[in-house]
Amino acid sequence: MAKGENYSVVGQRVTRVEGYDKVTGEARYVADLHLPGMLFGKILRSPFPHARILNIDTSKAEKVRGVKAVVTAEDTIKRQWGAFFADQYPLSVGKVRYVGEEVAAVAAIDPDTAEDALHLIEVDYEELPAVFDAEQAMQEGAPLIHDNKPRNIAMTIDVERGDIQRAFADSDVIVEDTFESIPQWHCAIETIGSVAEYAPSGKYTIYMNTQTLFMARYRVAAALGVRETDVRVIQSAVGGGFGGKSCDDNNAIVAAILARKTRKPVKVINTREDEFLAGSRPRVNMKIWVRMGFKKDGRIRAKQLRIIADNGAYSGKAPAITGVAALRHDTCYKYSDVKTQAYLVYTNKIPTGAFRGFGNPSAEWAVEQAIDMGANELGIDPLQIARMNAAGPGYVSPHGNRVTSCELGQCIDMVEKMMDWKTKRAGKKPDTGLGLACTVHVSGKRHFGDYDGGSATIKINEDGKALILCGEGEVGQGAATAMCQIAAEELGVPIGDVEISQADTDLTTFCLGAFGSRVTYVGGNAVRDAAAKAKQQILETASEMLEARPDDLVVEHGKVYVKGAEAKAVSVADVARARLFRRGGAPVVASGSFDADSVLQDETRYGNESGAYNFGCQAAEVEVDTETGQVKVLKYVATSDCGTVINPIGAEGQVEGSLAQGLGYALIEGLRMEEGRPINPNFSDYRLPSMRDMPDLEHAFAASYEPTGPFGAKGLGELGMDPTAAVISNAIFDAVGVRIKTLPITPEKVLKALREREK
Amino acid sequence: MKRHQALNVNGEEYDIEIEPNRLLLHALRDDIGLTGTKEGCSIGVCGACSVIVGGRLVSSCLTLAVACQGKEITTIEGLAKDGKLHPLQQAFLEYGGFQCGICTPGQIIAAKALLDSNPHPTEEEIKEWMSGNLCRCTGYYKIFESIMAVVQNKVRAEDLTARERREARIQSLGVYKSSS
Repeated sequence: MAKGENYSVVGQRVTRVEGYDKVTGEARYVADLHLPGMLFGKILRSPFPHARILNIDTSKAEKVRGVKAVVTAEDTIKRQWGAFFADQYPLSVGKVRYVGEEVAAVAAIDPDTAEDALHLIEVDYEELPAVFDAEQAMQEGAPLIHDNKPRNIAMTIDVERGDIQRAFADSDVIVEDTFESIPQWHCAIETIGSVAEYAPSGKYTIYMNTQTLFMARYRVAAALGVRETDVRVIQSAVGGGFGGKSCDDNNAIVAAILARKTRKPVKVINTREDEFLAGSRPRVNMKIWVRMGFKKDGRIRAKQLRIIADNGAYSGKAPAITGVAALRHDTCYKYSDVKTQAYLVYTNKIPTGAFRGFGNPSAEWAVEQAIDMGANELGIDPLQIARMNAAGPGYVSPHGNRVTSCELGQCIDMVEKMMDWKTKRAGKKPDTGLGLACTVHVSGKRHFGDYDGGSATIKINEDGKALILCGEGEVGQGAATAMCQIAAEELGVPIGDVEISQADTDLTTFCLGAFGSRVTYVGGNAVRDAAAKAKQQILETASEMLEARPDDLVVEHGKVYVKGAEAKAVSVADVARARLFRRGGAPVVASGSFDADSVLQDETRYGNESGAYNFGCQAAEVEVDTETGQVKVLKYVATSDCGTVINPIGAEGQVEGSLAQGLGYALIEGLRMEEGRPINPNFSDYRLPSMRDMPDLEHAFAASYEPTGPFGAKGLGELGMDPTAAVISNAIFDAVGVRIKTLPITPEKVLKALREREK
Repeated sequence: MKRHQALNVNGEEYDIEIEPNRLLLHALRDDIGLTGTKEGCSIGVCGACSVIVGGRLVSSCLTLAVACQGKEITTIEGLAKDGKLHPLQQAFLEYGGFQCGICTPGQIIAAKALLDSNPHPTEEEIKEWMSGNLCRCTGYYKIFESIMAVVQNKVRAEDLTARERREARIQSLGVYKSSS
């Protein structure tokens, strides 16, 4: 399947384009920026999960020496904003709905002064009854969080394809159970931050560590009540995003409000506590009831889901995430009859949102365990069940997702081999077990309006160097390097002759940014298109210089020559100069764009949501200590179908990093909350995996080529995270026969399950 | 009340006026302008603020600047010499030992502190030592490989490239650096 053995740059282990800056400490993150006259902003947050604001007195805070401004909702246009539903204010109006909500803010000459002033702001609250559990929040008579959302239901999904009743009647084995996932925080080592400037002419310039510049611009402008182009967003180096920096929070908006009021640049950097409370929106936790029917031979016959998704106090991207949890997995296997009902419910808790996997890690936690339960009931190897049901090229899901390339079967075969699956299963040792799960993800998704595209501009400088201007940005995982490789490959120049600019909404054309595993596929296609058009200009001018037809020319290693006459080559730099420095001269510059062949889902949520689908299969071998409940991962295997691998260093890194987050999600992460208050929002109580927690890992990429992708590539960023929790749980079941149904799988839960089984 | 303080950072003397409770992290970043040292958790757990003081690895978010007077302080900015990267920096580049890069200065400094005192650590010793430095991007595999590459002498001296010999790069547009 794989094409392109002849690529010269694509597929090479290229070091990161910003690598030197990162290993020397020179890379500029937003916290490193300092503008002349800059002030420091701090935000006063609600201590109550639900309360009416009766009065705010800022007079004492304003008198503190060094304080330049104190702002409340009175300094805003009191307009609600949000990714899908406009339901949150920049600063609370009338009431607060979660612990951590932004109530007021201070700008001062240094962070300590701002912090001191916060304590002098007097807010009179009237506490209101609050609700913390999504199921309780749906009950009649529960405290109402938003006046216009009866029973606190933000959104419902109710979709049936085929005939679910008949399909269950036709099933030989039926399994059902309920699984609960947790809110997982991104815990990027860099917190969210902004430096905002305001020019009296009315223009805001905001340096932000956002993943999605243009979406940030749109939302910030909406909240401020200005035109999009009155806001310029410049991306700083981003210290980890994973969905958390896709601008569903108020950090940049508050910085902008303070900058306007003080007429000074204002820096607002979240503390770690800010970040847990109201920074990156943690993964939407869900309670998922799943029922699945199988034929005797292992074929999946029916699948039914009922999902209660906990939105927290404001919706952000949770509506789309709930949609993914409800429907996406139906593209992984050959399903015919499916039914899914989902409710997204407001609670008085920290708003939940986008985190790597976007609904998949919650749904697959439930569905892939149900399939494992089915395999167990049927007495069939789960690997055979996966193989038998796996989607393939040309598969159309019940919801209209059209699969082009698909090497899920190859991924399963590789897992079998790499894990030595048959031998290990045959020679099963006590308390040791194997588990596996499969996944599907998109390469971009059409859901923010009817556009699933990207664009880029390439100019060839007069010294022959190409510069890519692209608004997709770099969130840290290596997109910029992949873009440079794609441009170099298409242009026929060495990678060293390509640079990429920082993303900046004033200088780059519209891009949706980094989410939905879309940048390499969508943005990469746009870069390739721009490069192809720039190359046409090079060929046009070179054909005049070499007195040959453009069709007879080759561009290779930065040289242009007539096929077979390499000795008489001209350099790309010569061509760029010749085109520019003459009467009627012009630079080599071209814009490219790409819009995926996807459709906006209709009101029944039918329609091909993405231009390409990525697949994966993962397996674990675990050992359970039945004395302590401790789970040790002895070996982990991850296989991915991401089409052509553009940069193996980057691709491997995506899978390895996903696995760490997946294992954290499965085994250790989570924050204790009481009445909507996180007890200890810090890194000593919210534990992250460290180097010694990582198991032996083997991973591989399927030989795969996506015909619609740049040089055959498709998305990869989220794939590795999706199935991991289910893989671990399935392996624990195989090892000791107990099934853990709530995350994280702590030793206490395993031990309790083992004890209960003994009874 | 602010006091005069001399700090020796990467072999250079810096005279600054700071409060006695000024943390080394903030003195380095905000008073001296060396922003390579990062703030991650502010409670000494994540290791992003790691620096070497008097030969010992410390979390600069838990260390008072006044306590470092008269001691040699090494930050990430002090590793590359005359445009030549330190072997650890070169290894992190080649082996992909970073992604977003925010924890990278701390990772490299921590690894340097380890190799300075124990040039041939075992795999277990590396894993144990480096577990004080959190990374949310890499899953640690390539950080481990990068350090092993230095331990096993796989990073060649002639590869310690100067900035000019880099391949492609990100072009930065008009972002100011820290003022002081």
